[in-house]
Amino acid sequence: MTVTKTKTELEEFEPNIIGFLCNWCSYAGADLAGTSRIQYPANIKIIKVMCSGRVNPMYVVNALQQGADGVLIGGCHPGDCHYQHGNLLARRRMAILKNLLEFIGIDSRRVRMTWVSAAEGRKFAEVIKEVTEKIKKIGPMKDIQRVNEW
Amino acid sequence: MVDQQLLIDEVKKVVSRDDVKCVIGYKKGTSGFTISPAFAYSTEYVDKFIFNPLCKKNLAAYPLLEDKLPLKREEKEDKRKIGIVAKGCDTRALVQIIQEKGLKREDLVIIGIPCSGVIDYKKITAMFPNEEAYSTIEEEQGFYKISINGKVHEIAKEELLADYCTSCIAPNPVIYDVLIGEEVEHWDLEEHKNLDVLEEKDVGARWEYWKEHFDRCIRCYACREACPLCYCKECMADLLNPQWIRRSVNLSENTAWNIMRAYHLAGRCVGCGECESVCPVNIPLMELNKEIEKDVKNMFEYSAGMDSEEKPLFGTFRPDDPEEFIM
Repeated sequence: MTVTKTKTELEEFEPNIIGFLCNWCSYAGADLAGTSRIQYPANIKIIKVMCSGRVNPMYVVNALQQGADGVLIGGCHPGDCHYQHGNLLARRRMAILKNLLEFIGIDSRRVRMTWVSAAEGRKFAEVIKEVTEKIKKIGPMKDIQRVNEW
Repeated sequence: MVDQQLLIDEVKKVVSRDDVKCVIGYKKGTSGFTISPAFAYSTEYVDKFIFNPLCKKNLAAYPLLEDKLPLKREEKEDKRKIGIVAKGCDTRALVQIIQEKGLKREDLVIIGIPCSGVIDYKKITAMFPNEEAYSTIEEEQGFYKISINGKVHEIAKEELLADYCTSCIAPNPVIYDVLIGEEVEHWDLEEHKNLDVLEEKDVGARWEYWKEHFDRCIRCYACREACPLCYCKECMADLLNPQWIRRSVNLSENTAWNIMRAYHLAGRCVGCGECESVCPVNIPLMELNKEIEKDVKNMFEYSAGMDSEEKPLFGTFRPDDPEEFIM
């Protein structure tokens, strides 16, 4: 039996979302969501970093260049950072980066930041759901896509 | 405006000090309205030093970028100070470099010059396209008096004044050892032109605007070379491993480069306008810088290059930094 899908179903846009999650809180939160068998969209591709303060703004730009439709940065709640205040430094950086991207004309809703602790598996799943839905609405990122031609 | 003789006398005084190696300043360029940096190692070179409204180049990075040759055996390191002729924005750049520990305050002798705005080189060459030499340029009550071949042209200040000078917050030097002339009054600050127009547009329209500009970029990196605060020994744009941006000149890589350049100056840009004035394809880079400067001012109440004791913007934080965007 062949499964017939309508055209719209086939063409529904599935975004690529890159998640930079900190090793100590958000990544453990994602782990908890997995071990608790909470369902969340499979659009997110997770990259573990030691701290959200490790995320260079160029990581975000390079991800958007190489086919990501959205970027999510996850860190510990303020005060909980394993490295004292890495997440608070990241907060400043991302605030400026988001405004700069918005000014250049790249929808700043593509770049999101969240605080997820190691105990918040359910919150993690909800955040992913929300981000995926938002980015589905915004549509694919084509403006600064890298061209691979020789 | 600055008295030339006063400037020369002061520079002579500084350069003849025992603990000063050289003084960096301005001299007339070789043709047209150009200005070149001048270096005086002894008093005999000082006579060509000038300061006029054309001296817009920011020389703040020169003391930092000086090549230090390896020492020969039994040779001692030259620890003498470097003198520099600096306008308001130049001293802001110096303060920023001192804040980042690139230079030490005690290694500098700053000859401060109160500045009432500089002439945009692109504007003046558009007005006098074929002139090969000028004799003097003076500012008098809202007019520039430019004498060329014995003929004096009087031009309203607004027509030639560089755009970024209207939003300058430091016409007088922030730090100095010697001040030449009297301090000028602060003028009414205006927002950088075109910024509010751009902010009102929607995201798509803004991208159309920047796309057109970034598409023209030839990635000559002149903006980086001219910037007094782009003084890294090895730039991220030149790295091959990891390669942050590819060498190819296309919209994607050009955008990445321009985001990177603007972002690296967040909370550091002093608004001297060097990047924009050297751009061969006229990309309005100052609009990016000014927008970030405005955001930084609104969000973190921070202005670059005003206080050398302050911590760098991204090296510190406050518990109540804005976080509405965080989920």
